[in-house]
Amino acid sequence: MVLLLTWFSAAFAVDRRSIFLPGETSNGHVLFENSCKSCHEGFKPVTNETCNRCHEAELATDFHSEKKFRDPRWAELRENLDVLTCTACHEEHVHMFGRGVHLQPDLCMACHQGVIEGELASHNDFTPDGCWTGGCHNFHDHRSISTGFLRKNLDRPWILPEPALPERTVEVKLQTPPEADLIEAFLKEGK
Amino acid sequence: MKKRGLRSEKPGKIPFLKKRIQIKALFSSLFVIVLLIVINCFFIAEEAKADKVTQSQLEEIEQQWQSSAHALAEVNCSSCHQDEATKQLVAKPTAESCRSCHENSVETFLLGKHGIRTLESLSPLTPAMAHLPMKDSAKDLQMNCNSCHNVHSVNTAVAATDSCLTCHNDNHSLNYQNSPHGGIIKNLSTLPRPNERAVTCATCHLPRTIVGETVLVNHNNTYTLLPRDRMVKEVCLNCHGVEHAYNSIFDDEIVEANFAHPPTQKMQTFELVRALEKKRSSKTE
Repeated sequence: MVLLLTWFSAAFAVDRRSIFLPGETSNGHVLFENSCKSCHEGFKPVTNETCNRCHEAELATDFHSEKKFRDPRWAELRENLDVLTCTACHEEHVHMFGRGVHLQPDLCMACHQGVIEGELASHNDFTPDGCWTGGCHNFHDHRSISTGFLRKNLDRPWILPEPALPERTVEVKLQTPPEADLIEAFLKEGK
Repeated sequence: MKKRGLRSEKPGKIPFLKKRIQIKALFSSLFVIVLLIVINCFFIAEEAKADKVTQSQLEEIEQQWQSSAHALAEVNCSSCHQDEATKQLVAKPTAESCRSCHENSVETFLLGKHGIRTLESLSPLTPAMAHLPMKDSAKDLQMNCNSCHNVHSVNTAVAATDSCLTCHNDNHSLNYQNSPHGGIIKNLSTLPRPNERAVTCATCHLPRTIVGETVLVNHNNTYTLLPRDRMVKEVCLNCHGVEHAYNSIFDDEIVEANFAHPPTQKMQTFELVRALEKKRSSKTE
């Protein structure tokens, strides 16, 4: 016991917190895995707010959102899989099956098993783990991968008639550059 | 007799030798100390010399700045190199200085792999910490705004490709310059900023995003990586049809070759949608 305590306090003292990691940290998070407080407040569980500190942009158009599950038609499906809690699918320091998801790749079957069992003729007998590993469905944002979107965009040429990115323009105030204002100071004391 | 002589010499010689060794040791350690001090002084002087900007360096920087967008936007030396309150010279401005104008760029940078360590108050990321192959010569470079941007010349065409290739050494990165995408910018490389037809590393990995009426550059370098359809939506569809884009981006070999040739796979999802279309149109007929 004394040995263990000494070991832990030594780890804190020399700032080697990695010994407290319960398992392999996922790709990306591994870069700051020694900063426990980035995600953990004491021993409290990690909340959605913690994830949203960094991942707000990715979830701005979340398809499995709170808005959807407030609808009583879908609300009870949350009992199968609590899709409104990030850690229900994205646990950390455990084995991942890609995209930082620790559940088996057939996780969609928690609610959508009917799709491969007769509800949708085109998807009959599809493998239960192929929804996202096949590159067809995106759990959080299916704007550009939904059937509707693909139907609308079928048979487009490989390169569009006018390929162009949003153009960056910088508005400037002057036509000719002004005098540099700190040259003297730099020569005198500058580094 | 000889033996005795030897014996009689020994007791007399030992203290003498000891003394000589002591004196020698004293001198040599003194010598080492003096040498160390001299070397140290030399290095400190060199460091100071290296730290202090010379007139010719200043002239070069001034010239770079004068032809930059910063100069024409009235961003002068003092905008970044002078403390607003104390008027003290700031030799090395930090990201905070950049943030005062480029808020979105700095904030998105801090959320990607490049900036997350800085956001979490750890030492900045270095290529040595990366899992992807990085150039040996760059292992210890620290990631901040300056690592990719020459803030005096403000040439983002350089920041959008050359800067990335200072560190990144994986096949996808190395194949960029000879790829069809890389070929487009070769004719445009004198521009201070990649135009709307150029495809740089940044085009896909730090995509331009329309926010209200402005076009911002999302500096979160992780954002478009996964799931891959996010990059299709954010970037590829600006120029390519959706089938070409998906068939390419979900093919690891084509990604590694940096899209050097057209896709060979035909994703089943398009077959399904096509069948659905056929069914619907035959119903309406």
